[in-house]
Amino acid sequence: MKITDFKIPTRLDEALALLRVLGPAGLPVAGATSLVFIPEDEPKTAVDLNRIGLDGIRRDNGTFRIGATTRVAALQKHAAPGWVLNRVAQMLASQQIRNESTLGGNICRVFPWADFPAALLALGAVMVLQGETTREVPADEFFSAQPARLFRSGELLTQVCVPALSPGLGFGYRKVRQTATGFSMLTAAALLQLDGATIRSVRAAMSGGVPFPARCPGVEGALAGKKASEGLLREAALNGLAGLKFKEAEGMSTAYIGRLAGVTLGDVLVEAWTQAKEQAS
Amino acid sequence: MAKRTFKVVNQSVTKLDAIPLALGKPLFVADFKPADALYAKFLWSPHAHAIIKSIDISAAEKMPGVHCVLYHGNVPRIAHTTAGQGYPEPSPYDTFMFDRKVRYVGDRVAAVAAETLEIAEAALKAIRVEYEILKPVLSIEEALQEGSPVIHDEPEARAIIPVPYEPQKNIAAKVGMDVGNVEQAIAGAAYKLDNSYYIHLAQHCPIEPHVALAHVDAEGRLVIRTSTQVPFHARRITAQVLDIPVRMVRVIKPRIGGGFGVKQEVLIEDVVGMMAWRTRRPVFLMYTREEEFVSSRTRHPERIRVRLGADPEGTLTALSMDCISNTGAYGAHALTVVCNSGSKVLPLYRSANVHFTGTAVYTNLPVGGAYRGYGATQAAFAVESAVDEFAETIGIDPLVFRMNHHIRSGETSPVFAALGEGKAGVQQSIGSCGLDKCIKLGAKAIGWKKRGDWRKKKGRYRRGIGMCCLMQGSSIPEIDMGAASLKMNEDGSFNLLMGATDLGTGSDTVLAQIAAEAIGTTSDKILVYSSDTDMTPFDVGAYASSTTYLTGNAVLDAGLKVKKQILSVAAELLEKKPSELEVRDAQVFAKDGSGSVTFQDVALHSLYAANQFQIAAISSNISHKSPPPFAAHFAEVEIDTETGLIRVVKYVAATDCGTAIHPKLAEGQVEGAVMNGICYALTEQYLFNEKGRMTNDSFLNYKIYSMRDKPEMVTILVPTYEKTGPFGAKSVSEIGINGPCPVIANAIYNAVGVRLRETPFTPEKIWRAMQQH
Repeated sequence: MKITDFKIPTRLDEALALLRVLGPAGLPVAGATSLVFIPEDEPKTAVDLNRIGLDGIRRDNGTFRIGATTRVAALQKHAAPGWVLNRVAQMLASQQIRNESTLGGNICRVFPWADFPAALLALGAVMVLQGETTREVPADEFFSAQPARLFRSGELLTQVCVPALSPGLGFGYRKVRQTATGFSMLTAAALLQLDGATIRSVRAAMSGGVPFPARCPGVEGALAGKKASEGLLREAALNGLAGLKFKEAEGMSTAYIGRLAGVTLGDVLVEAWTQAKEQAS
Repeated sequence: MAKRTFKVVNQSVTKLDAIPLALGKPLFVADFKPADALYAKFLWSPHAHAIIKSIDISAAEKMPGVHCVLYHGNVPRIAHTTAGQGYPEPSPYDTFMFDRKVRYVGDRVAAVAAETLEIAEAALKAIRVEYEILKPVLSIEEALQEGSPVIHDEPEARAIIPVPYEPQKNIAAKVGMDVGNVEQAIAGAAYKLDNSYYIHLAQHCPIEPHVALAHVDAEGRLVIRTSTQVPFHARRITAQVLDIPVRMVRVIKPRIGGGFGVKQEVLIEDVVGMMAWRTRRPVFLMYTREEEFVSSRTRHPERIRVRLGADPEGTLTALSMDCISNTGAYGAHALTVVCNSGSKVLPLYRSANVHFTGTAVYTNLPVGGAYRGYGATQAAFAVESAVDEFAETIGIDPLVFRMNHHIRSGETSPVFAALGEGKAGVQQSIGSCGLDKCIKLGAKAIGWKKRGDWRKKKGRYRRGIGMCCLMQGSSIPEIDMGAASLKMNEDGSFNLLMGATDLGTGSDTVLAQIAAEAIGTTSDKILVYSSDTDMTPFDVGAYASSTTYLTGNAVLDAGLKVKKQILSVAAELLEKKPSELEVRDAQVFAKDGSGSVTFQDVALHSLYAANQFQIAAISSNISHKSPPPFAAHFAEVEIDTETGLIRVVKYVAATDCGTAIHPKLAEGQVEGAVMNGICYALTEQYLFNEKGRMTNDSFLNYKIYSMRDKPEMVTILVPTYEKTGPFGAKSVSEIGINGPCPVIANAIYNAVGVRLRETPFTPEKIWRAMQQH
């Protein structure tokens, strides 16, 4: 990445105006921890988003509204009833990176190893994009391909909205990596809603060992409306991923990553189910 | 052993360079880069095996800001080895500054020196090269096939010592030995084992990559500041390759950011030297991490066949090992690494019949080199895995089998005399050996008694405990030489000048402690300077676990000589005989209590008052034996049987390094080596595409451990006293890396009953092995 100029707006409208003028030559940055991975040689003007008031976590009824420049470390430290993103944040890279990296940066350009897309897909998060108007994009649309395609000139991701877990809801999350700060070989996340002993719905998603973060419809479909049990959850995870493509990771074959995905998603579903039961009681 | 008391030695004094390092003071090669230095950059081969049909450097040469372009057509063609070893080197002369042939992806094609890095990179892109692509040889098996492409077909390739060298068969080195008759012993054995193991390629990953800065001084001599383990070998080899006299080259080693063997290679000094020589401008070159992976040096992978035989009582009667190492495109350390696979591992267990062969083959893969453990790491994996398997075959606890067979103080092994480095070895009997105690203390710390059979383990997550025993050496006997010079200053401090090379290991501190103990002062009064080929006496450098033992004895001797001179001056001052005096705490006392003088009094008197002379001494030391440090390692692992994911829960390393001159630094060496070894066993690996190109050449996807990955670790130093070592010391730096591969393999077996004979132990390999179970 070749940065030839650096702008520091202090208001959101100023940042949006700058980006409109710059067009493709403008590059919004906050934590800037991923610049090293972007090989482009085109000169860019960085527009610093750190002083335009986009950071912070606030609760709005049943929803957490997270500013796009909120540091991953802040997500990690945040504690509130129904808050689960600390479990995702604490496994991202190293503390030094978490202190700089932002939620917005982690999801606006999706790297193969990114952690948050799987979690946000499972949670059914909603992304707020602000330009001349404000619009909301659900996670399924946001992550159906590189999100860059969604952004109009002079438009920014300003907020990520995730539900606070209410009784009957449980969240599971696992990231498999070979070293403590290593990239994900496989990340799996699930949100499971119980209705008594019956599974009302499941949202399961995966990233890392797959070409792009994706929901796991085969698994979700096999569970909805069924009476929950550990055996059922693990079996659904092992058998329901046939439609997903896996990719080699760290010298390990696609067949193995597929196996790892099935087992890990099973763990994640059991974790979500356990939490849902605890939340319900 | 009588308890010895030391004042400075065996104390964890403040590391001499701790404060400036912590403060980020300019200490490393890159810190010395002057503003007018040119940047050097290499053009690397994109092909694993090819002939350069044509190369056009004219466009690059004409670019503004480009000062020098080197390629095979404009430099001397001098066959040499990059291996920084004693002369004559046991590694073959098969390397040229630049050649018409490229032998691996990442081999040198050309190099540019320019005003900026950007100009240098642009100039590289302007060099036009036409290649005739040859079939690459990408494995040991391919290299040895009849009719395989010959990698070194140049007429100059040769061994300069009388050792087997057959480049037309892709064989870079051969070595072997036989004691008794292994075949007969195995044929008649009640218990037999015959297994093959493979241990993989890895890189040293020093945090500071290869970096060098060269300039021509006012007198017209070439001065090279370089991150090297071997300043004197670097001077000799650079002079050889540039075809200039040794006296025209000065090599300075500042602080080093880690070496682990990879900086025992003279890898870039020739090119920065040639560029500075031609341009008369300072020239700076630093490898990127990608270059460090691809174009520096690696651990030689080895395929190892182990055969064992035992009599009906379970006593080992035959010990046989055949090692084939992959030296990659050049034969740096090819002979000596594979030789050490035998000489640093086979003596550990008593057997009347011993057989060993070592063969190193050329392939079109990254080049092997010296790497901490140096062949012993490879063979320890094979032998210590085999011993575990054999013990089970016999039906004996593997710990007991090792206790029954390991070498002890006063014993010898025929292997010592049979295997040297490029010549016959040196007979030696073991002096100090604390291995028994290492095994006992380590077993207690890991909880060996609670170790159960894998067949009785249930549940998804299963734990297992494994162990191994290890030995290494301390210097290369009758080859290595180290020297030290000590002189006294007016305030009673001393300059200690050495060619020995502190790579971050703390050897400067350790050697200062030895000097201080010998003289009778404290280590902060010892001002260490190392190393500079103009200023410091010769030393082979930091390798073969030698500095503490080898240079330490030179320092000890110089210290004793200086002390003698101090006593003679003090005798003058106190009007006594030297024998009536004693030194304590930087003072000389009359034994009868009649008076004392400080070191400062002595120094001032000797320099200014009467009978003036410089209190100083220089000593050289050559080692006549290579006393092994010993260790017993233990690990507990936990395996997820559903996925094969593995976690080292606890690691215990009990080490006998004689007297630990600086216990904290010795523990640091053990812990660093163990961490290095654990990620080698589990996560590090070179991934290649079908054309021989490494596909994971960065820390993003080549996985090494950081402190966050450290398991619970227990480091036990078992004190012994090695009579031939300085204040009883032996080596400690290498041995620790040899343990994790066999220990973890043995622990995996104990957890889930699968035996992995190929490293690294990735989750997929563990899981697949369990499926076949």
